[in-house]
Amino acid sequence: MESQIRTIHQQLINKEITCTQLVQERLELLKLNTHVTVNSLLEASALESATKVDAKIKSGQEIGLLEGIPFGIKDVYMLQGTYTSASSDLLKNYKSSYTATAIQKLLDAGAIPLVKENCDSFGHGSSSENTIFGAVKNAVNPTLVGGGSSGGSAVNVSKDYTVFSIGGDTGGSIRQPAGYNNVYGFKPTYGRISRFGLMAYASSTDCVGPITKSIEDARIVLNTISGKDLKDQTTYHSEKILEEAILNSDAIKTVGYFKNFLESDAIDTQIKSDFLASIEKIKSKGIQVKALDFFELDTLVSTYYTLAMAETASNLSRLDGTNYGNRIEGENLKETYSITRSENFSEETKRRIVGGNQVLSQGFSDEIYLKGLSLRDQIAENFKKDFMEVDVILSPVTPNLPPAIGDSLKDPLAMYLSDAYTVGFSLGQLPTLTMPKGTETGLQITAAKNNDELVFKFANFLKDII
Amino acid sequence: MSKIMTVDVLSSIKGAQPSESVNSLFEVIKNANTTNNSFNQNHNNAVFLDDLREDVVFHSPKIEKQIIIENFPREKKGYLVVSKVIEE
Repeated sequence: MESQIRTIHQQLINKEITCTQLVQERLELLKLNTHVTVNSLLEASALESATKVDAKIKSGQEIGLLEGIPFGIKDVYMLQGTYTSASSDLLKNYKSSYTATAIQKLLDAGAIPLVKENCDSFGHGSSSENTIFGAVKNAVNPTLVGGGSSGGSAVNVSKDYTVFSIGGDTGGSIRQPAGYNNVYGFKPTYGRISRFGLMAYASSTDCVGPITKSIEDARIVLNTISGKDLKDQTTYHSEKILEEAILNSDAIKTVGYFKNFLESDAIDTQIKSDFLASIEKIKSKGIQVKALDFFELDTLVSTYYTLAMAETASNLSRLDGTNYGNRIEGENLKETYSITRSENFSEETKRRIVGGNQVLSQGFSDEIYLKGLSLRDQIAENFKKDFMEVDVILSPVTPNLPPAIGDSLKDPLAMYLSDAYTVGFSLGQLPTLTMPKGTETGLQITAAKNNDELVFKFANFLKDII
Repeated sequence: MSKIMTVDVLSSIKGAQPSESVNSLFEVIKNANTTNNSFNQNHNNAVFLDDLREDVVFHSPKIEKQIIIENFPREKKGYLVVSKVIEE
């Protein structure tokens, strides 16, 4: 199977390149890049780690598959001693005091972090324009957005600045930028990977996941970072997905798709016809395809944003400049809180915090927040029913092509609605992979909860027929 | 003192106002049909009570404590300086 990680691993073992050369080369690309993907470079530590890998190879010791592989980290993950800004003014000088579990597992496997990557501030956005570091530019067409919120990560992988990157996905933040930049992006089943050390946006849908150039690399990274973690009570034990297991897709007999995703006026005609052409190719391989009913797109988007805003209002209430962050002193404690938050949060972040506090307030919570929770339960039930009829669900990643830089900031509602195809799977906590095939912004493959392996199986099958 | 707290106070954000874009999302929820009125029937987002971890204290390594102090917005002799507590 195609794998950038395996190719580089072999080059290191064969001494075709040194790890130091590899790391230097990628650092140079990151420094010179004009796509605004870098919040901070980890140059000194990366070169130090590379020297150790080279010494190990030179002395004839074996190295692990991920040892010496350079990767990127969305700037919302803790990595001890590094700046972790969440692309915000509030935390622009904040240093992680500890390391996120997923990142620690990669360090333990010998992978080398090169860069903390640009993203929407606190994950609040679908374009990576809501950032103090400047808008991330699309890897294919730099006049367009890089997508979000893990935009810097997707662009870095697409441009080969990093071999893989670790993104974060709350409502589509790995899958959508992966689609916009022609790479793979995987949001696992909620709880498969520990969220410890990921800055919380909406805790009930926040997921850690890999962005890669191949299915095999996504599988390798996923296996490395999955597992139960005492520091995140929502994690569970999962078996490794074996390479052999995904080579055979005989288990997939029926594929579903949501009729209303295609009947929507919002979908681009080319994306629609390309998606339907993909469906025909699947049918031609003897797989049964079923059109499924699903919730209205505006209900999906509104349910997701209602719950996500409520959760982010709560999660970000800790950011008041008391213990850390860019405190701006006021006359008293309350004033200090409010000046600090008013001056340091972006407009989009403030909009979401205010929205969250609105729905959590007395008088509003019953008719909006609790109703949103009820709708979420119905959506989850709907998925359960669907997966009794079909093995996987296929959908476009986005209704439209990436917008031009500047457009999303002018129209927040349009930006929220552009997440229509990704948020439902987040609410259902389902494993979903974006693959850069089928439509201009890719295809999403979703399976039932805890059935991440089936997603990989189908992706591997699909990549050869589309 | 009024018991009604406005969103700017609740959010600790000066002059904050509800936004039209966000309100239009809430309108969709208000008008949506739900098949039940009791929320969270599946309890699918909660952790099972018999699967909670032990309540143990982890002592942070020295480096972690050092960085926490480095992150203090204001520091005096190794202590965090905070604003005076408000009196109302």
